[in-house]
Amino acid sequence: MSVDGARDWQPKILAVFCNWCSYAGADLAGVSRMSYPPNVRIMRVPCSSRVDPAFILRAFLKGADGVLISG
Amino acid sequence: MPRTGVFVCWCGSNIGGVIDCPGIAAQAAGFPAVVHSVDYKYLCSEPGQNMIIQAVREHRLDRVVVASCSPRLHEETFRKVLARAGLNPYLVEMANIREHCTWVHGAEKEQAQAKALALVRRAVAKANRLEPLFESTIPVTKRCLIVGGGIAGIQTALDVADAGHEVVLVEREPTIGGNMVKLDKTFPTLDCSACISTPKMAAVAAHPDIRLYTCAEIEKVTGYIGNFEVTIRRKARYVDHEKCTGCGTCWEKCPMQVPSEFNAGLGQRKAIYIPFPQAVPNKPVIDREHCRYFTTGKCQVCAKLCPAGAVDYEQEDEVFTEKVGALVAATGFQLFNWSRVYGEYGYGRYPDVITGLQFERLVNAAGPTGGKILRPSDGSAPRTVVFIKCVGSRDESKGRSYCSRICCMYTAKHALQVLEKVPGAQVYVFYMDVRTAGKGYEEFYQRAVREGVVYVRGRVSKVYRDGERLVVRGVDTLLGRPVEVDADLVVLATAVEPAAGAGETARLLGINADRDGFFQEAHPKLRPVETHTGGVFLAGACSSPKDIPDTVAQASGAAAKVVGLLSREQLSTNPMIAQVNETLCTGCFLCVPVCPYKALERRKITELLPGHPPREREVAGVNPGLCQGCGACNAVCRAGAVEVRGFTNEQLLAEVDALCL
Repeated sequence: MSVDGARDWQPKILAVFCNWCSYAGADLAGVSRMSYPPNVRIMRVPCSSRVDPAFILRAFLKGADGVLISG
Repeated sequence: MPRTGVFVCWCGSNIGGVIDCPGIAAQAAGFPAVVHSVDYKYLCSEPGQNMIIQAVREHRLDRVVVASCSPRLHEETFRKVLARAGLNPYLVEMANIREHCTWVHGAEKEQAQAKALALVRRAVAKANRLEPLFESTIPVTKRCLIVGGGIAGIQTALDVADAGHEVVLVEREPTIGGNMVKLDKTFPTLDCSACISTPKMAAVAAHPDIRLYTCAEIEKVTGYIGNFEVTIRRKARYVDHEKCTGCGTCWEKCPMQVPSEFNAGLGQRKAIYIPFPQAVPNKPVIDREHCRYFTTGKCQVCAKLCPAGAVDYEQEDEVFTEKVGALVAATGFQLFNWSRVYGEYGYGRYPDVITGLQFERLVNAAGPTGGKILRPSDGSAPRTVVFIKCVGSRDESKGRSYCSRICCMYTAKHALQVLEKVPGAQVYVFYMDVRTAGKGYEEFYQRAVREGVVYVRGRVSKVYRDGERLVVRGVDTLLGRPVEVDADLVVLATAVEPAAGAGETARLLGINADRDGFFQEAHPKLRPVETHTGGVFLAGACSSPKDIPDTVAQASGAAAKVVGLLSREQLSTNPMIAQVNETLCTGCFLCVPVCPYKALERRKITELLPGHPPREREVAGVNPGLCQGCGACNAVCRAGAVEVRGFTNEQLLAEVDALCL
């Protein structure tokens, strides 16, 4: 990876959000038209306690650069 | 292999104005198992819904992906569409390409397009692994428990009981009636408060379907909507209410004098007492803290004189449980304790600086002065009375940031009452704003102004004593100059705040309180009497300051919700809860302590294995009434035996894969 390439590089971030708080928060961000970088991909779980460590490992295995768990 | 259909919604220009919806639909057609993929302007509309139904039939779809708004908004809508199309309603998955994409990435259309496609890919991956789910039913206990016996609790109790359901009303004070029954007259009609509330109190006592517990508090709540079990502690009253006739001999002869809570500290009561003559139940209790027998071991005058032999010093607290299907919080309000923080008004050192509630008792015919407005210090009639509004309300530095809503009106009422009862009196009201939103309220305020009440716009900076009188120093901000008034009596309109112990009640009921401690409604506009906890409702000032008409209206609203719930034979439960594969469960029970809802339990099963004798062993089991489907058990299960339906490991891992592609 060249230094110049690194400047354009965008991380791929997987966000795992609790349905009742953070997912609703991301909805609210939408309703309020608050912009944020588009390289965050959100999936929904019924609660952050549902997140199995295996999901995080799988995400990195499949090419994610960061995993955000919020709940 | 499933046959999946993808439907991409434009949501007018909300989505269609940012990304290329036909393009998404075309690309989604190439995703695994997708046999049909189209876009449409408004999928949630009637023609949009019919289009999905028709496509399900035409293309024999058995999984549906709707790429549109948040599932929190329309998942239920599209589940119903699937049901109408003859599919299991849980075979739909939504891709949130509006809230999570076009609304936040409107400026970066190219990247928004890529993200929307990724979100649709995720939804397809999940949809392909969805399984049909079936709702089950739980029975409903057709009874209701109400916490708090003020006017809100009374109204709810009467409405629910009149609809034919049993009500348990729990009140911690010795009588029901709450704050309303302490008031003299109610604005703007000047009805006598006791005359309109005591008949309702009596109706509660007489209603065959209302079980009233006074001196009682809830201690524990278990269960869930339709099936709660509430532990109640009824404190010892030291009087057997079965035997007591309420004759009054005991409190007449009791030698102890205690400041009366009912009269806001302005009058005296005895140590064995009824709070006021129309109390319900109309039977006395002993105040153990002040009773001479309990404090010194001698006296027993009440026991000796009681003709019914009802006094029982040995009585103990009773703890018992009630099973109910619905709960209503009606814990009401108390007044802000101004004397802790308002040093400029004397920290409560001047007896002639009183609160609005104390004024109510002063002006009440059944109050300590028999309805004459007299100064607490020397019993003389005040010639000049000053009212100070917003004491603790709209004052973030010392009290609360919100408006208490009732003070403008009751101050106008008090001012008129002074003019009516004390001929020639001068009345001043210091105010920040006058807020009179309500039927007949502005007219009432104008009447006070017309009859000679002097409204001064400004804050009072100091109240101090000058001989027999009080000097109120403030500012008139309309004239821009300082004002000094020599007053005989100063009345503070102190803020309304949640009743003491409201936080604990919220914790017991499993509901939220806002930053001021008022209980949080499920939606401030559209669900004002519901909470986020199923089966728990709100009535009255426990959710925000309210006047009597609003409180009664909300109480009847809560009652309607309770009756709606209790009139159902069964409730259907959310099928997206945990289930245990008993064959895989090793019986480690790691899931039991992590469950926040105590929904997992040990169960004995008999296993029949070929070639072996039947074997008994313990495995985990899920109580479907308690499980909320959070999935904590799923994450800790090492054997993969517990899975949350609708959020299984297989489904979620497929989503991870699709999003990280």
